Amino acid sequence: MKIGVFICHCGSNIAGTVDTAQVARTALEFPDVAFATDTMYACSEPGQEAIVQAIKDHGLDGVVVSSCTPLMHEPTFRRTVERAGLNRFMFEMANIREHVSWIGKDTEANTRKAAELTRMAVEKLRRNMPLFAKQFEVNKRVLVVGGGVAGIQAALDCADGGREVVLVERESTIGGKMAKLDKTFPTVDCSSCVLGPKMVDVAQHPKITVHALSEIEDVKGFVGNFEIAIRRKAAYVDWAKCTGCGLCMEKCPSRKSLDRFNEGVGTTTAINIPFPQAIPKKAVIDPAFCLKLTKDKCGVCAKICPTQAIDFKQQEALFTEQVGAVIAATGYDLFDISKYGEYGAGKLPDVITGLQYERLLSASGPTGGHVQRPSDGREPKTVVFVQCVGSRDKSVDRPYCSGFCCMYTAKQVILTRDHIPDSTSYVFYMDIRAPGKMYDEFTRRAMEEYGARYVRGRVAMIYPKGDKYVVRGADTLMGTQVEVEADLVVLAAGAEASQGAGKLAEKLRISYDKYGFFLESHPKLRPVETNTAGVYLAGSCQGPKDIPASVAQGSAAAAKVLALFSKDKLENDPMIAAVDIRRCVGCGKCIQVCPFKAIKEVDFRGEPKAEVIETVCQGCGLCTATCPQGAIQLAHFTDNQILAEVNALCLA
Amino acid sequence: MNVLSQLKEQIAATLPNLDLVIGWERGFDPLHHTPLFMRRPEDVERLVIDALCVHNLAVYLPGLKNKKVGVAVKGCDSRAVNQLAREGLIKRENVVVFGFPCDGAADLTKVRRQLGDISGVQSAALEGDLLRVVVDGKERETPLKDVLADKCLRCRYPNALTHDHFAGEPREARVQTDDYKDVVDFEALPLEARFAHWQQEMQRCIRCYACRNACPMCVCRDHCVAQSRDPHWVTQEDETREKWMFQIIHAMHLAGRCVECGECQRACPVDIPILALKRKLNKEIRELFDFEAGVDPQAVPPLLSFQVEEKNINERGW
Repeated sequence: MKIGVFICHCGSNIAGTVDTAQVARTALEFPDVAFATDTMYACSEPGQEAIVQAIKDHGLDGVVVSSCTPLMHEPTFRRTVERAGLNRFMFEMANIREHVSWIGKDTEANTRKAAELTRMAVEKLRRNMPLFAKQFEVNKRVLVVGGGVAGIQAALDCADGGREVVLVERESTIGGKMAKLDKTFPTVDCSSCVLGPKMVDVAQHPKITVHALSEIEDVKGFVGNFEIAIRRKAAYVDWAKCTGCGLCMEKCPSRKSLDRFNEGVGTTTAINIPFPQAIPKKAVIDPAFCLKLTKDKCGVCAKICPTQAIDFKQQEALFTEQVGAVIAATGYDLFDISKYGEYGAGKLPDVITGLQYERLLSASGPTGGHVQRPSDGREPKTVVFVQCVGSRDKSVDRPYCSGFCCMYTAKQVILTRDHIPDSTSYVFYMDIRAPGKMYDEFTRRAMEEYGARYVRGRVAMIYPKGDKYVVRGADTLMGTQVEVEADLVVLAAGAEASQGAGKLAEKLRISYDKYGFFLESHPKLRPVETNTAGVYLAGSCQGPKDIPASVAQGSAAAAKVLALFSKDKLENDPMIAAVDIRRCVGCGKCIQVCPFKAIKEVDFRGEPKAEVIETVCQGCGLCTATCPQGAIQLAHFTDNQILAEVNALCLA
Repeated sequence: MNVLSQLKEQIAATLPNLDLVIGWERGFDPLHHTPLFMRRPEDVERLVIDALCVHNLAVYLPGLKNKKVGVAVKGCDSRAVNQLAREGLIKRENVVVFGFPCDGAADLTKVRRQLGDISGVQSAALEGDLLRVVVDGKERETPLKDVLADKCLRCRYPNALTHDHFAGEPREARVQTDDYKDVVDFEALPLEARFAHWQQEMQRCIRCYACRNACPMCVCRDHCVAQSRDPHWVTQEDETREKWMFQIIHAMHLAGRCVECGECQRACPVDIPILALKRKLNKEIRELFDFEAGVDPQAVPPLLSFQVEEKNINERGW
């Protein structure tokens, strides 16, 4: 075998602390190395051409490039060696930038280590085999999980691109958090007026199927061929018959049901359509409050329903959908404000979350758009807004900024003045974060035109005094203590990962961070992709986001899906597991640990043996680590290749 | 009716439905029993059970996967049956397990140590708590408890944990818990002393693979990585490093699987205390995963389970 070695300077990134010429000279002494040189930028066009030329001039069978991380440029160099006529797996990369030059300043030690890592790559390459991809069909349907604004946008864009879309929503209606908002910043236009038409588009689009009141039960398969099991919860109403007329809501005697859509501000009926613009506009019975389901009494809705849609015996349903790609758009949930005991959150009735306040402001809310205190219905004259409740606070394990609270608080301040012209608003804040287009101007308007009193400092405690609440905090600009007697306190509750986000991520086999937000493939360059092929992200499930950013991500994810679906066939990655059936004892441990269900048991002359389904295997290597016999080897990462690397390092 | 005749009756009654039943019989001398493969009714007469039935007969089961096999088991052996079945290496429904109360098995190395050279032994008798042997016409005796294998002194499972037939009455366990004191004590030694100990022990290894062949959980047989070129984990060089590597591989491959029957150590012709390596891993497995191989036939072995966050492994907080 003839191997060529290229040691990259990466400008001064590597050459600054590694003697690259010396590494190249050392590499010439490694077994099978026929050519070695250092090069300014291996990835640049002349750099790549030099590699192609060397392969031709020296008749090389394989190439090692010692440069940056393979995550960045391995695909680049694989294409390079392919251009020169080699199989693209006859290439190895040693990372002498992140692993060497960037982490140490001692040139002598760095040079030695760079040579050792290069030697590892050479030893591995000596055992590489040419590998060839296999092609498989793509199912060009897409699943969107979550029907908030990001999911809606993604679904519409995919459907407009001509692809069939399955939209799964946990609640009985799509719309998500945005449907609960009264107005949106910085334009103060009506939220449901902007979102409503989009929701109608989803309902009417011939390419979109909406499964509301449903959750993802299980995900099998892989990019191009996912099989999604979906669990539809019991609505106790036959939606095929329900016309959404709302008669049942008028007659339902159980009026103390938790009003989830209104964030628990006020109550609703046990049979319920969350809001007038709901899509699908279908009634759902809350089994915890329905008299028929709890006490076997009543049944008024069944009597009154003009289409006989009520079905108290309805069960959960489990069904599957076949799709080729998945967009996760599960959004966020609010931080549980009751963790701030010192604010009386969860105990004092007039200390509420920003989202609850939205419902008080909304004309379709429980108070018809009249701002009233939940406790006594009185109109508040002094409203205190507290920022960063569950954001930027390590003590509650929420060190991150929720991003949009500064802006919605400014909006709520403006709306409060609009609703109650003689009211005064106070805002306790840490910093104002308003980096978007027209955002800073908007917060300035809240302060300057709407007379909101912005106090820079944290609130220490909130306690009742008469029928008011004393908000005690610091004004760090004035260096004084502040006490405000408030009628209503609105806590800007931070955003956290949607409930059950972690479980969904595990089903989708994507990563999530310690707070439950899904992890993108690259924070800058691959923001809507995940490390699982065919699974994309949109909206706040990836991190707190405002509406414009969520919509942009919805469209971006849709673009990724449409690009994926532009090919009729996909190629698998040939770095997959293979079973040596002579060694396999048929214990089936590999089958049990395979997260992709890519291994099946086959009968070989009466003996059970494992067999890898080549297009399903993702090459994760779990089976190879599990197999006690070493009967399963991962192509391109065989035991012998890894051992050769270890030995190269130990011998050095 | 004593335990042996009851067991013989049970085996004789079941044998017609089975391909064979595995037990023990007297071997080449009175101290060495040997596995007995009973196929005909008259074979059953040769069956013996006493403290010299040292072998774990479960070792034969994976190789007889598609046969109907009966097997006589001590408590520790029965754990191997459970574990093999749990790992899908045998079909439990194809195996008929004959259990009996075990009083402990002798360690012939200890017998040798107590009674001197026993190569010319003419007769051996277990009388109550005494082992009495006649060597070269001279009678020697030792209390049985002084020659029991270490594993028997800390035995918690003297009765088969899984069985289809049980002869005699279950007996009380010697101890209720295993505190792994041997492992703890050894680990208290300085690193150098431990290293020196294993270097000394491992260089004596002759790589006969008796330990592996006697191990009921070692199912790779002809495809053991210790002798394979692809993958090439260990070389055939006669070096302590390679021997040690093999023993570590053996121990690692048994992590969460070893039932501590001690067959590896018993089979070792040069008496390397290799069970200690497996006990160290078992101690870790118990602490981390609260798992003991082969005890609960339903428990999921840690290697075959996946939790995002293990209860006893702190993956984030450091």
